Amino acid sequence: MTMRSFVSTLLVCAMAVSMTGCKSWFSKKGSKTTGTGLPENDTIGGLSTEGGSLADRKDFATGNSVMAGQFEAVRFAFDSAQVDESERAKTEAISEYLKSNASTLVTLEGHCDERGSAEYNVSLGERRALAVRSYLMNLGIDGARIQTKSFGSERPKDPGHDESAWSVNRRVEFVLIKQ
Amino acid sequence: MKSTSFLLLMFLGWSAIAQEVVVSKPTGTKASLDLSGFTGTGPAPGVFRQTLEADLLRSGWFTLTRQAAYVVRGSCGGGASLAVECQVTDVVKSSLVLSKSYTDTPANAQRLAHKTADDIIMAVKGFRGICSGRIVMVGNRTGNKELYVCDSDGGNLRQLTSDRSISLSPQWTPSGAQIVYTSYRRGYPDAYLIDLASGARSCLANYSGMNMAGGVSPNGSEVLLVLSRDGNPEVYIKPLAATGLTRLTHTPRAGEASPAWSPDGSKIVYVSDLAGAGSPQLYIMDRAGSSRRLTSRGRENVSPDWGPNGWIAYSSKRGGLYGVYIINPTTQEDRAVSPSDTHYEEPAWASDGRHIVCTRREGRGSRIYLLDTMGDPPVCLTPNGGDWFSPAWCSK
Repeated sequence: MTMRSFVSTLLVCAMAVSMTGCKSWFSKKGSKTTGTGLPENDTIGGLSTEGGSLADRKDFATGNSVMAGQFEAVRFAFDSAQVDESERAKTEAISEYLKSNASTLVTLEGHCDERGSAEYNVSLGERRALAVRSYLMNLGIDGARIQTKSFGSERPKDPGHDESAWSVNRRVEFVLIKQ
Repeated sequence: MKSTSFLLLMFLGWSAIAQEVVVSKPTGTKASLDLSGFTGTGPAPGVFRQTLEADLLRSGWFTLTRQAAYVVRGSCGGGASLAVECQVTDVVKSSLVLSKSYTDTPANAQRLAHKTADDIIMAVKGFRGICSGRIVMVGNRTGNKELYVCDSDGGNLRQLTSDRSISLSPQWTPSGAQIVYTSYRRGYPDAYLIDLASGARSCLANYSGMNMAGGVSPNGSEVLLVLSRDGNPEVYIKPLAATGLTRLTHTPRAGEASPAWSPDGSKIVYVSDLAGAGSPQLYIMDRAGSSRRLTSRGRENVSPDWGPNGWIAYSSKRGGLYGVYIINPTTQEDRAVSPSDTHYEEPAWASDGRHIVCTRREGRGSRIYLLDTMGDPPVCLTPNGGDWFSPAWCSK
């Protein structure tokens, strides 16, 4: 391993720890890299959102009551899929709720601001939802109770076209499904 | 004209070509054409005549003038059916290069004019024009994003889907008989295939998470998808007529988007933010997933389309403005092909390898324009009312 890629790996690990604050997760997945054929120093990129394969959608269709908007949306920095420290309390609140309501499922709806390509924004919104999913799983929530759905930039919450609107629109919303 | 000499033309640069005032011979630039001897009166012949003239001008290969190197003679008339006679003479060689008659219903006057225009382009320039092409795009004038199909000039616009949800990323199959796209019609972003003749729709992918439709392979047998079923958005290949899924990318720390095939089907260009979450860039990989980064300039490089001439069109954010650029993946030569008056995004090559359809931002709105990589000014193809996005070109 070259010095540069070693530093890159350290950096990625440090970001992983700062994102989750969870040592067991770090030791399990923090140093995981998957080959892409790219030079290693090209892969410093963003954070891993990987929490394993996604849950089957079928379970989510059987819910008899859907509640949206009772938990505050997690917001994101521009073009980022990282759950900032200031937003973690929101995710912890929903985690507590899910722990005391064991039959409730949650759909994480990822959104972006209007800037950029529509197709890239669907991927970015999905990564935001997956980052929150990964965070919830590290707080002990079973991944089978979580579904992700990205709307890209198609469903802004604030119809405005300035930074204050964009910062509201870069978000992950929680939609609860009661079984 | 051979594609090699066309590439050479592109290397010459558009400014020299655009400044040329009079061209008397078809040496690759504009040829002069006299259309005044072609007559047509009455409603359908009038539409035919008008469409033919607009097509020839939009093609970028002609100047219309009385003292011309080529003279078009003929007529367009008839009642219950539309009858067209068309002869083109090379004045210098004093030889007939096209002599053809056509009949169709008056309702098909525009399509017939497109066909005639392409025959004239073939006779004079020696290659296929784009007039008979079609465009699929996304429009929101019903209040929802639906798919629409229109002719190469924006005419014959018709709404294809009535999903009443969100439609994204339409792509043609090479035959032009089907369209793949992404729809939220069942609540989630899933990939579908629509057969244009029957209207039948089949689901290509509805795995958990996102299922974005990408490009269809040049032989029409496979489609590229971006799926998050394994925990992160990654690029996959799926056969259109069979089951099975091949995963191509493994980037747990990055998201991929907009995969498109090279003209020979051996490579794939796609968007990934591997180099930084705020900076999506273009990458090229082979079918085994071995990849390299293509773009280096511009903070965001997105929406690639690999043209029949080997150049990749894409949109790049430079100096705060999205523009349409083309890059040669072999030489890395890279140049802007859109004006810098506003944002131009989502380019797709027309089948002549010269023109590009794209979106142009107009205030809060968005419309579809035809760009000319050889310097003719952009032409708007969409009507007023609603916004238009994500055009894709079909040669038939």
